[in-house]
Amino acid sequence: MYKIIEHTADVGIEAYGATIEEAFENAAKGMFAIITNDGHIESKQKRKIEIDFDADEEILLVDWLTELLYLHDVEGLVFGEFEVRINKKLVGYAYGEKYDRQKHGYGIEIKAVTYHMLEIKRNKKGVTIKVLFDI
Amino acid sequence: MWSGPLNKVGDYRYEIPKSYRGINGNLKMKVPALIYASDEMLPAIRKDNAPEQTANVATLPGIVGKSLAMPDIHWGYGFPIGGVAATDAEEGVISPGGVGFDINCGVRLVRTNMSIGDINKETIKQLVDELFRNVPSGVGSQAKVRLNKMQLNEVLEMGARWAVENGYGWEEDLEYLEENGCMEIADSNYVSEKAKDRGKAQVGSLGAGNHFLEIQRVAEIFDEEAAKVYGIEKDQIVVMIHTGSRGCGHQICSDYLRVLEQAVRKYNISLPDRQLACAPLKSNEGERYFKAMACAANFAWANRQMIVHWVRESFERVLRQNAEDMEMHIVYDVCHNIAKIEEHEVDGKKMEVCVHRKGATRSFGPGRKEVPAKYRNVGQPVLIPGDMGTESYLLKGTNQAEEAFGSTCHGAGRVMSRAEAKRRWRGREIAHMLEQKGIYAHPASWIVMAEESPDAYKDVSQVVSATHGAGLSLKVAKMIPLGVVKG
Repeated sequence: MYKIIEHTADVGIEAYGATIEEAFENAAKGMFAIITNDGHIESKQKRKIEIDFDADEEILLVDWLTELLYLHDVEGLVFGEFEVRINKKLVGYAYGEKYDRQKHGYGIEIKAVTYHMLEIKRNKKGVTIKVLFDI
Repeated sequence: MWSGPLNKVGDYRYEIPKSYRGINGNLKMKVPALIYASDEMLPAIRKDNAPEQTANVATLPGIVGKSLAMPDIHWGYGFPIGGVAATDAEEGVISPGGVGFDINCGVRLVRTNMSIGDINKETIKQLVDELFRNVPSGVGSQAKVRLNKMQLNEVLEMGARWAVENGYGWEEDLEYLEENGCMEIADSNYVSEKAKDRGKAQVGSLGAGNHFLEIQRVAEIFDEEAAKVYGIEKDQIVVMIHTGSRGCGHQICSDYLRVLEQAVRKYNISLPDRQLACAPLKSNEGERYFKAMACAANFAWANRQMIVHWVRESFERVLRQNAEDMEMHIVYDVCHNIAKIEEHEVDGKKMEVCVHRKGATRSFGPGRKEVPAKYRNVGQPVLIPGDMGTESYLLKGTNQAEEAFGSTCHGAGRVMSRAEAKRRWRGREIAHMLEQKGIYAHPASWIVMAEESPDAYKDVSQVVSATHGAGLSLKVAKMIPLGVVKG
């Protein structure tokens, strides 16, 4: 689950999950919902992403989402489903297809993932992530 | 609502004194902060935390003069948008937050020898549609030219010159670009493979958001003499391009925020906000960032150069005339997200400083060697884009701007979120409203039209008037759009 948050010139997401992995997956879903204006994305292609967990969880989150933006820019892909495992490194799979304005809808171009007001919070229910994008 | 001190210290000048301790009471400003604004703009400026950010910037190691903000100041990541900070080139720091993600986002103006009487509505529509076909734009837009790794490295190190040497534009174009379209310090060895991949995928594309390509009419001349020198007259048709370094620059900024975050710890720099991450200019990290940033800046100049070429090509196709015969010369090209080493006077002494301009434009006055010879007696042309469907401005740089390290404003800035704009308007309504004003728009989608509605932006004329009043740049001409290509 995720929720899109908007301020005057910015857009971001609040994502939830029972685990940190699930919250990372939902944050990625939310990011592509912004790009495609909530379009339905089929899982036709799969990409593997590996990131060393060498700093903190916040940096790992920014790296994870930046990696997906990279694939979007370079291969023209959008993703709708994700699987994330985090141990000594993050191993993630992203499932999606070529972006098509007609099919997926036209959202907002995200330039970058920012550290501003970045939050990863834990409570009894699980993990909440808040992240803002530069657009 | 920000309620810190803003002391009026002159017309259009409000100071946050060095003694201000910040919202947490522990801020240690090394210099005062100064915000340029009219009295009427103050309530809006106090609305977000941008003044606090201007004060935060004043804590950067090696900052000289004052931490400045232009009248279009608004909240940004770390530095405010509209922020200008100069640091000692020997002992100061460089900060990616003072440049922004879209390195060398900028504006270029191309003139023609046609006037409004020579061109009818139908022709404008054809031109806009042709531009839309010829220049990749919008979310997910991809390059139509595929460069290999070596060519991309050349783009990063040569900037606009690469484009001209490869058939995109005219030799004389380079003379009318800030830095002649190339920062020599660029070294592609410091750019990650990822940034290069993103660059290859998007070179020669407009992008989305507030970026645009407009056919405009010169609606008003404020300064006949300067306009004449710039080759501008009333009712003339001109073309404005507003875009930056695309994914290449965004990736370089992301990469180096990570590097400089580590550097902050290494060099024991204490900062009020993580996003002010920086490193000494003379450190390994600082030098690497600066050389990579210059690569992104060069990419942006090449990008705008390729787009200019396609603009000329589109005009040639539709009007069946040579671009040379239509005198489609570049008036000028400015960058408004950049850090550069420049010579300025600080406390009566000339010194080398690193000027960070984040949402601010260079505004050099008459006499400076950086201004093209043809313009040197009047000062550098300053280009201020409005938002879709309102006006844009051509101004001239001044020597007064020296007090702000040769800087002025950069544009309008949003006052309403995209979501709010979408709730309020439908894209077709906006298109219709623009049509009533005689503006033909070709957006990548109708949603963009609603999101980018003119009423969702600050009034650019107010911003321009404040810089004119403060003497940072002076009005030369106002341009009104006739046709808009919107990503």
